[in-house]
Amino acid sequence: MILNHLTSPAAGPGRSPSANDFSRRSFLQAGAAAGGGLLLSLRLPFATGDAEAADGFAPNAFIGIGRDGQIVLTMPYVEMGQGTYTSIPMLIAEELEVDLKQVKLEHAPPNEKLYGNPLLGGVQATGNSNAIRAAWQPLRQAGAIARTMLVSAAAKRWNVDPASCRAQSGEVLHPPTGRSITYGKLAADAARVPIPKGVVLKRAEDFKLIGTPAKRLDTPSKVNGTAVYGIDVRPPGVKIATLAQSPVFGGRVKRVDDSAPRLSRACDRSYGSTTPSRSWPTIWGPRRKGWRRW
Amino acid sequence: MPTTIKVNGVDRTVDVDSDTALLWVLRDVLGMTGTKFGCGMALCGACTVHVDGVATRSCITPIDSVSASEITTIEAIGATAAGAKIQKAWLDREVVQCGYCQSGQIMSASALLASNPHPTDSDIDDAMSGNICRCGTYVRIREAIKQAAQSNGQGG
Repeated sequence: MILNHLTSPAAGPGRSPSANDFSRRSFLQAGAAAGGGLLLSLRLPFATGDAEAADGFAPNAFIGIGRDGQIVLTMPYVEMGQGTYTSIPMLIAEELEVDLKQVKLEHAPPNEKLYGNPLLGGVQATGNSNAIRAAWQPLRQAGAIARTMLVSAAAKRWNVDPASCRAQSGEVLHPPTGRSITYGKLAADAARVPIPKGVVLKRAEDFKLIGTPAKRLDTPSKVNGTAVYGIDVRPPGVKIATLAQSPVFGGRVKRVDDSAPRLSRACDRSYGSTTPSRSWPTIWGPRRKGWRRW
Repeated sequence: MPTTIKVNGVDRTVDVDSDTALLWVLRDVLGMTGTKFGCGMALCGACTVHVDGVATRSCITPIDSVSASEITTIEAIGATAAGAKIQKAWLDREVVQCGYCQSGQIMSASALLASNPHPTDSDIDDAMSGNICRCGTYVRIREAIKQAAQSNGQGG
């Protein structure tokens, strides 16, 4: 509901129309990944253009290409059934020239300073239809930059003109000599290539993935119970609270019966409207049994 | 008090009150979070598991009522013939949207298919009406159950 009251600045015509509009200093940095691959760190502007305004570089999305060729995107948007975990990897895969299934997605950890969404009052949240609008340009650009760096690394290795090479399905090819090499084998070398200037993004009519139907990447985990939802997360020492509401208007708590052994063992004895506990059954059972008197 | 239950073919001994709901034993004691909490009152179906093959709402099932039973959860339903067919149909038909209710949907659907290889529309309605989906995936759920039933062959 709150989302309906928010402004929706669109990344429309005239806004970052070409790949060169982003300040590379604040938008993207490249380096070696842990384990020796290529790591691109970038700042998703959340459709507000804050990347241009930021003084320092505070990346909030990361693209890693490992020596095994696995591409891992770490980013803060949450999948809620809207397809974000499939559409966002599409943006990278399109320009990086890899199959959609080659992109693995990891969710960013909680950190509002890095991942807070200015469109949602600085809260680390996903909504307002802004994931694709915010990521549309920078993630395709990051994919194109990574692809260009991988091609450069291959051309250097083969001592050929980069323009004579092309990228396809996670490999760099050199058609004149029939040579090919996987991204995984190039990732470490690519990390030492300077970030290219003026990469050109594909025209819409050349898209192979974007705009096509795709099997959702999150579905397999949702038919076998392995998908992790918010309620499934169990940080060490987490407390769980339940809300007990008076059955009559204006009622006040008269007595709290915490004599049930499991309840007294688990509770922190903070009798506001909620009672923290370490697990659901310890509060859910007593709650059902009417452990409060009104 | 210590109670032993058989979950997905494995005996598990847990120390909980005898009236603790099976759902919380699975999720909080055994750490099997594939089974979901929805309403806690058997109104939504998100917590559905199989107790001796019967689709059962684990949120209102006391642990001491199932100590002699075989309990199957979403984590192991793919090891059953009906469950594997249902899971494949769910993938083929892209049934899932947010997915929160789908563990329960799949458990109800696979119990139906195991007991009725060729369910009619009204059989599907009867078996699935207790499983609510806020995303509204009902049309694809029905298609997927029919697809899974077709893979059972003709003559049912």
